[in-house]
Amino acid sequence: MAVFSSNPSPRSGGNDAAPANRSSTLPAGFASPAQDYYDAGIDLNRHLIRDATSTFIMRVSGDAMDGAGISDGDEIIVDRSLTPKDGSVVVAVLNGELTIRRLLLTGQGIYLHADSPGSTDIRVPDPAELSVWGVVTRCLHHV
Amino acid sequence: MAEQQRFALVDVNSFYVSCERVFDPKLAGIPVVVLSNNDGCVVARSDEAKALGIKTGDPWFKLAESAPKLGLVQRSSNYELYGDLSSRVMQLLARFSSEQEIYSIDECFLHLHGTDEQLRSRGADIRAAAARNIGLPVCVGIGATKTLAKFANRIAKQNPHLGGVCNLDTLGPSVVDTIMSRVPVTGLWGVGSRNGARLNALGIHTVADLRDADPAVIRAKFSVVLQRTVLELNGTACIPMETESADKQQVLFSRSFATPVTTRESMRQVMSLYAQKAAIRLAKEGQLATVMTVFAATSRFNTTAASAPSVTVRLERPTADPLVLTRAAITAMDSHVVEGAPYAKAGIMLTGLSPAGAEPVFDLFAAGPEQPDIGPLLAQVADKYGAASIGLGLAGLASAKPDWTMARKFASPRFTTEWSDLPVVKAV
Repeated sequence: MAVFSSNPSPRSGGNDAAPANRSSTLPAGFASPAQDYYDAGIDLNRHLIRDATSTFIMRVSGDAMDGAGISDGDEIIVDRSLTPKDGSVVVAVLNGELTIRRLLLTGQGIYLHADSPGSTDIRVPDPAELSVWGVVTRCLHHV
Repeated sequence: MAEQQRFALVDVNSFYVSCERVFDPKLAGIPVVVLSNNDGCVVARSDEAKALGIKTGDPWFKLAESAPKLGLVQRSSNYELYGDLSSRVMQLLARFSSEQEIYSIDECFLHLHGTDEQLRSRGADIRAAAARNIGLPVCVGIGATKTLAKFANRIAKQNPHLGGVCNLDTLGPSVVDTIMSRVPVTGLWGVGSRNGARLNALGIHTVADLRDADPAVIRAKFSVVLQRTVLELNGTACIPMETESADKQQVLFSRSFATPVTTRESMRQVMSLYAQKAAIRLAKEGQLATVMTVFAATSRFNTTAASAPSVTVRLERPTADPLVLTRAAITAMDSHVVEGAPYAKAGIMLTGLSPAGAEPVFDLFAAGPEQPDIGPLLAQVADKYGAASIGLGLAGLASAKPDWTMARKFASPRFTTEWSDLPVVKAV
């Protein structure tokens, strides 16, 4: 999921085996002495993402989930492979739009609940109409 | 019932359109087309667009006016998105098999084992996993040979009541025979229109006709390749799992290693080698690439040090330059390699292809001999005449737009590969 634009450096042309220009602080053509210890750092991908194949990052727009600590502009980690449960924060498809809500499976029916005062819950009349895009596992909250 | 080894061909339905639909649910159930480079013509259609009579290759300017009336929605090709979702779906499918051949951006062959019923239900599992984990609809064809698996996939696609999975063995011989005697021979994998016309002249019109033809005669009159197709139609597997493929949409090079690759340094060598092979392939096809996906994976049986990096990058310009491709491949993969993890396979996929002649190639940044004097010279000129007065290549033309910048007027965001383009989820 990580992305670079390839950054060919004219200087490393003569040496194919040289490490490519990984960052602006690493001149092409020189191996970093720290390279062999690279894995000692904390890799957030490994800790925050359970299954990279089915995990996507999305950005929240709106404040209906403020009460859950998920604010406007926050990034969320969404895993499609998880089964949503009662209380799960999910991305659901509502009227053709991706919408974040808390899923409530109650005796009275299925609700997409907004965690902020003043917002109204949405009742899902028919379970077959509930379309969960994925389950939110983390929120990267901007502080 | 006996356990058999079978080939499965899994492909994503209307791949480009389906990718667009993953992040834009509004596109579900309506006619959608994806346009070629520069928004020239239709390269992919949803079923609804097919039902409107829109054909692959239709020029967009002819459709543009009537599109709103038809409710037709168009998208520019978004190869970053397609490349990323392609590698995700391929990684997911690899979990279902000990052996996988990635055949194109949206299809792969898998080896499956089991009884007829187990195989069919495995096909259903594959379909459910792709829909759930990634959001892409796939069809699965299962048969004794690659040719038959391809044929089964076609049946699965054209017969919605099969639920997207067709195991040829469970259809029954008479049903298979009936279908084969209806499908024209050109509908078969590996039979082009040229061979088709020649086969027709010999009275071979349908798939069943070719299946019943004498392999020796076919070999004598055509080629060993077409003879293999005859043998494969009769259940003799003679086309092995391959590691390389290329067509108009992508160049692909992937391979399993004889011994695991465990160091970043060795992976650089692998990437370098594969990039050069892909470059040779590009040159042979006369094409330039704009997007590269590199991937590697440990064996699915290895659970202690599992690692399956997959990275999609946009190249700075359309290129077939082995140096540029090699550097890009190494750069993209390098920091994702886990030192010590036993990688069992790796690959490179190049997409966003355009014919090499169609756009001018600016080899401005190609590596050459060191030019130690140029930097000071540039600095002198810039000092004297201003910062925008001189630069290397396009950098010297402050207002010039590169000719090769492609029109992508209707492009969706790069949802999965750009932090600034993340899909927006509403909290209202």
